[in-house]
Amino acid sequence: MGVKGHRTVDDTGNFEHPLYKVLFQIPGLTLAATALDHVLTWGMTNALWTFPMATSCCGIEFMASAASRVDIDRMGTIVRASPRQADVMVVAGTITVKMAPRVKKLWDQMPEPKWCIAMGSCAISGDFYRNLYSVVPGVDTFLPVDVYVPGCPPNPEALMHGFLRLQEKVRAMRQGAKVVGDPNPELLRVTKPSNPRLVDADRTAALDEAQVSSAETATDLEVAPPVSVPLEAVPAPFAASNATELDGVLADFGILPAGKQGPPLVPVERHLELARRLKGLGYRQLVSIVATHWLAGKGRGGNEAGEVEHHEVVYLLRTVGPGTRVATWAVRPLAGQPVPSLSEVYAGADWQEREQFDLLGVVFSGHPDLRRLMMAENYTGHPLRRDFAADTAAAPWR
Amino acid sequence: MSGFVHGLSYGAVIVTVLMTVTAFSLWFERKLAARMQSRLGPTLVGPAGILQPIADVLKLLQKEDIVPLKADAVLFNLAPPVAVVCAIGVAAAVPFSPTVVAADLDVGVLYVLAIGAVTVLPVFTAGWASNNKLALLGGMRAVAQSVSYEVPLVLAALVPVILAGSMRIGAIVQFQSDHHWFVAWPFFLGIPAFVIFVLAMLAEANRIPFDIPEAESELVAGVTTEYTGMKFALFYMAEYVHTLVASAVASALFLGGWDGGPFRPGLHWMVLKTLFLFAGLYWIRWTLLRFRSDQLMRLCWRYLVPSSIALVATAGVWVVFVG
Amino acid sequence: MRTVQVTRRVDPHVNIDRYDPEAELMLLHFGPQHPSTHGVFRMDLTLDGEIVVKAVPHVGFLHRAVEKLCESLAYVQITPIVDKNDYVAPMTNEQALNMAFEKLLNLEVPRRARWMRSLFAELQRIASHLLWLGTFALDLGGALGGGSTVFIYCFRERELILDLFEEVTGARFHYNTHTIGGNRHDLPAGWSAKVHSALNVIAGRIHEYEEMTLHNKIFVARTKGVGVLDADLALELGVSGPILRASGVDHDLRRDAPFHAYDEVPVRPVTATGGDCFARAQVRLGEIRESIRLVRAMVDNVPVGSINSGKPIKVPVQTKIPPGQAYVAIETPRGELGTYLISDGSQFPYRLKIRPPSLHALSALPYILPGATVSDAVAILGSLDPIMGEVDR
Repeated sequence: MGVKGHRTVDDTGNFEHPLYKVLFQIPGLTLAATALDHVLTWGMTNALWTFPMATSCCGIEFMASAASRVDIDRMGTIVRASPRQADVMVVAGTITVKMAPRVKKLWDQMPEPKWCIAMGSCAISGDFYRNLYSVVPGVDTFLPVDVYVPGCPPNPEALMHGFLRLQEKVRAMRQGAKVVGDPNPELLRVTKPSNPRLVDADRTAALDEAQVSSAETATDLEVAPPVSVPLEAVPAPFAASNATELDGVLADFGILPAGKQGPPLVPVERHLELARRLKGLGYRQLVSIVATHWLAGKGRGGNEAGEVEHHEVVYLLRTVGPGTRVATWAVRPLAGQPVPSLSEVYAGADWQEREQFDLLGVVFSGHPDLRRLMMAENYTGHPLRRDFAADTAAAPWR
Repeated sequence: MSGFVHGLSYGAVIVTVLMTVTAFSLWFERKLAARMQSRLGPTLVGPAGILQPIADVLKLLQKEDIVPLKADAVLFNLAPPVAVVCAIGVAAAVPFSPTVVAADLDVGVLYVLAIGAVTVLPVFTAGWASNNKLALLGGMRAVAQSVSYEVPLVLAALVPVILAGSMRIGAIVQFQSDHHWFVAWPFFLGIPAFVIFVLAMLAEANRIPFDIPEAESELVAGVTTEYTGMKFALFYMAEYVHTLVASAVASALFLGGWDGGPFRPGLHWMVLKTLFLFAGLYWIRWTLLRFRSDQLMRLCWRYLVPSSIALVATAGVWVVFVG
Repeated sequence: MRTVQVTRRVDPHVNIDRYDPEAELMLLHFGPQHPSTHGVFRMDLTLDGEIVVKAVPHVGFLHRAVEKLCESLAYVQITPIVDKNDYVAPMTNEQALNMAFEKLLNLEVPRRARWMRSLFAELQRIASHLLWLGTFALDLGGALGGGSTVFIYCFRERELILDLFEEVTGARFHYNTHTIGGNRHDLPAGWSAKVHSALNVIAGRIHEYEEMTLHNKIFVARTKGVGVLDADLALELGVSGPILRASGVDHDLRRDAPFHAYDEVPVRPVTATGGDCFARAQVRLGEIRESIRLVRAMVDNVPVGSINSGKPIKVPVQTKIPPGQAYVAIETPRGELGTYLISDGSQFPYRLKIRPPSLHALSALPYILPGATVSDAVAILGSLDPIMGEVDR
């Protein structure tokens, strides 16, 4: 920020307006101004409206601190959904590389004077996601944070304490002081929850005794009577399926059900046909699609010298209703070999395949809309591949 | 000339009192809502948090004033003051007692309804000028809602006009003072008309369950999304003043205004009735969920408008053959 | 009340250029920061007036690379990481994860630990559904209205359950109480009395929530017939849990593929037939009652014994799991939470895929949003109960 023409800078670096000299001559003005400043500061500190930049777990605790036990409304803090009307941005949760530009934009939309509270270890430092490709290591890399509230997540009381610390800081800043030092222990008294925790009155020695003895004597349980399942609720094809049918289909395809080593491998060109057959057999629910990247020399059994680099895509289907069964098979595309998309058989394969394409680079042919799901559109690389280093520089602040 | 001085002086008093009451009604609402939600509400700012609205206003005064780059700056800046002026303007014709009135117009009811209807213009202007899609949606909703609910509001207000035979609010109150409050007799006209009036009034003032132009959970802050600092405060104030004044109008038209029943009439009755109604609106606000805009329209055109037309017709018949 | 007939499936990839050129379409970016997106989620809504013509959801704003992180952590270190996935029901995350390890290790979990897991899961379900009800009411009623009243009531009761967990594990959430082969923290003495008193409070107040929601005319008008998801599409999308049961499919892994102690304590799944937001609310409120019944039946009868199998190892960090693949799924408050574990025999998992129920629920949005208004879109999104932590992982 440059110095405007009519302003001068004194030795301490503060701006001084030429009119100040005239104004200071008016008797009583400084007194009135000081009093007015106190009143304005009082107003400013006691009406800190919040903009919750709540992304994850800490957001839940933020909500809890607005609820009845802690109730940040006690100190005049209300939550505004629009950044234009807020004074404090509470960054509650992990900020990812994809989200960070939005956070910055929202911060810029807030009117001055404004403050930022970093709530929780993700917002403070990135926590254990710190060194990963998609997470910003702390919001202070791009926001001026005023108060850090540590915890994972911080209790609502801790957040309330953070607000009171912020009030202190605002007050001190308005008086031109620098804020350092330990938290005021007196504040802890105020941050106590307005409702007491569950009282411990029940906890007597006799009760402990009874509890232990009841646990020891408990042999059989009051079991609810078995409930008959209303069969009409389950449309017929959903329930119809059994193990032998599945084995039959697999045998049809010339494959045997594999054991713990992994699901049976199906040739890439036949797996769409298998999916259709299974859907007809009652496997109506698509559970998941899991792709794995195997480097050369690695395979299902651990280290297998003869293996070349390849992917393995596992499909899981499920029947619905009592006695539900999961059908699993895998295809094994070599690097770059496309797999026919399952999305024309199961609508849910749309997003699942997009995710596996995004993270592992498996290409699905015939997919209606094969875009990245998790990472930004302009991201390059496939982070879940085994040869991708997790801490690869991915953002300008690294 | 003396009428002008009278109007000016009482107008100044009414506006001052109205603003003060509005500020503290904010505190009252926050405390009431908190108690309804088993919370405490503001406690740390002043005794029982009573200075909270003052702190809010002082804070909002100091905030940066942002006009978005692509907004229509003139309209954007014009909307909040117009909203407040419209809301306060209604108060001019409301008699709080036979003497405490800025201007007891001969067409008082018409004036009140007309100025009340104008309040939608600044809201829509704000939505349009903000150049924000959420604000624009809010403005669209506000116009649709206000234009629709204007009809039952006017028709319901016609009932006391017909019964009292005057459009002067003072005369309507005097008529009730001489005979009965309209909610008491003829109650089969008074009570339905009162209910319709209050519902339409809630919709006009954009309060829950009709607050779809603001609808925080859908439109972030609706028309006020882009407003900062004092401009936002003006909108906020306009909403409360509007509700407060509308409560006063409803008290005058249906609840007998300054008449105290068996007790001596006086200003305090009007104030009490207004605040009582106002608190009742809070109660509704913190209990109900929000309608969807098409349901709102259906409620208006399918139920409120036909029944208010029927009420007006019945009132005419009643006046001709009974009253 | 509108009646929505699902005649043909919406095309989620519809070409918007082929829409009526006379209509003035507006593209509304909904999120990623928005009071009603339940975290960081973005929808690009193409609007004709207020009617949604096309919805394109965007996820990944909370992609924390959990699966990549797990590949470089020892098995016992992973539990606190996955706690943060479904941050409204952390207990169930830990359970699904550790059960996958136990399956590949062939570990038998002691009966007391299994009972405790069921108990925690049911208490967690109550807390999670309460939070859902509160935020759903917030979506329908706004932060400055009746919605926030329901929200605060729900949070008030949720705190009671968090207190119970805090007493067992020392944390309000992110408990890290499950480990390979059992649990870390035993139930403290006198705990069951507290469970009973907390449940009595909640059970006594459920009718209040039902009065404010299911029996409230405005709530019914806002949710009936809104966001209808038919059973066939739901299954193809992999939607599970309360949303699937609200579409009339009687499917609950607690009964159909029992895990923990559910083979000893039968569960009565709650189903509804509407497939709309109202049916989802019905199912979730019914599940609160059912979970209260289960906890009451179980809490006094937790069998005595060890809470941990004591296996596998002396140095937990060096646990090695033999090569193999395993899929384990449990029924969380949001549906089927699965863990697909691939081990190559080392002390780190080779691939750990978490199957989040919320991601599948969100994938229904492009199918059920077209035709709804903006207000409905908020209600529909809320009724799916998405937790972005587990959607994006």
